[in-house]
Amino acid sequence: MKNRLRVLRAEREWSQADLAQRLEVSRQSVNAIETGKFDPSLPLAFKLARLFEISIEEIFSDDELRG
Amino acid sequence: MGPHVSSPARYRLEDRVLFIMVPMFFAFPIVLAIADHYHLRPISDVLAVVYAALASLPFIAAVVIFGLYMAEEKDEFQKSVFTQSLLWGIGATFAVTSFWGCMEQFGHARHMPVFWVQVVFSIAFVIATAANRWRYR
Repeated sequence: MKNRLRVLRAEREWSQADLAQRLEVSRQSVNAIETGKFDPSLPLAFKLARLFEISIEEIFSDDELRG
Repeated sequence: MGPHVSSPARYRLEDRVLFIMVPMFFAFPIVLAIADHYHLRPISDVLAVVYAALASLPFIAAVVIFGLYMAEEKDEFQKSVFTQSLLWGIGATFAVTSFWGCMEQFGHARHMPVFWVQVVFSIAFVIATAANRWRYR
């Protein structure tokens, strides 16, 4: 699953640590999600969407649907 | 929670593991030393059961501690990494003990006391944890 987390974070000039603090997770979690090594659960995805004030689909995209 | 590696649940896990590490690694030798000191060898059936049960208690505690961590950890990624490390530890333990068991069966290796299983698991778990931390650094 691809995501725009790095871009969204950069737009707000947040470091991985800043985002981790806002999400109440470890920095490693943010890094793993950004690099696609870990797909977040639905609750965490919703939390990200609320934080960035956009929909989940605007953050994450399904590789298979894109072909 | 801050942006650090360890969550509060992780700190609690580390504290609890440190607390049981001493009995974990020294329970069996201590039990044998007590038996020797008080000239209790050969150990009677009842005493053997009591000593064996005492020596196994830290491992039951370890399972409880791991379970508590899985229940308390709010960071799903850290929980996933911990599960991976546990699986690597269990896999390595099965692989090493199966290999050694076969070698022993064919007469190509000396008998390995069962309590070494905990050492194999601990080493594999620590290596897997370090490897995962490096991978997701």
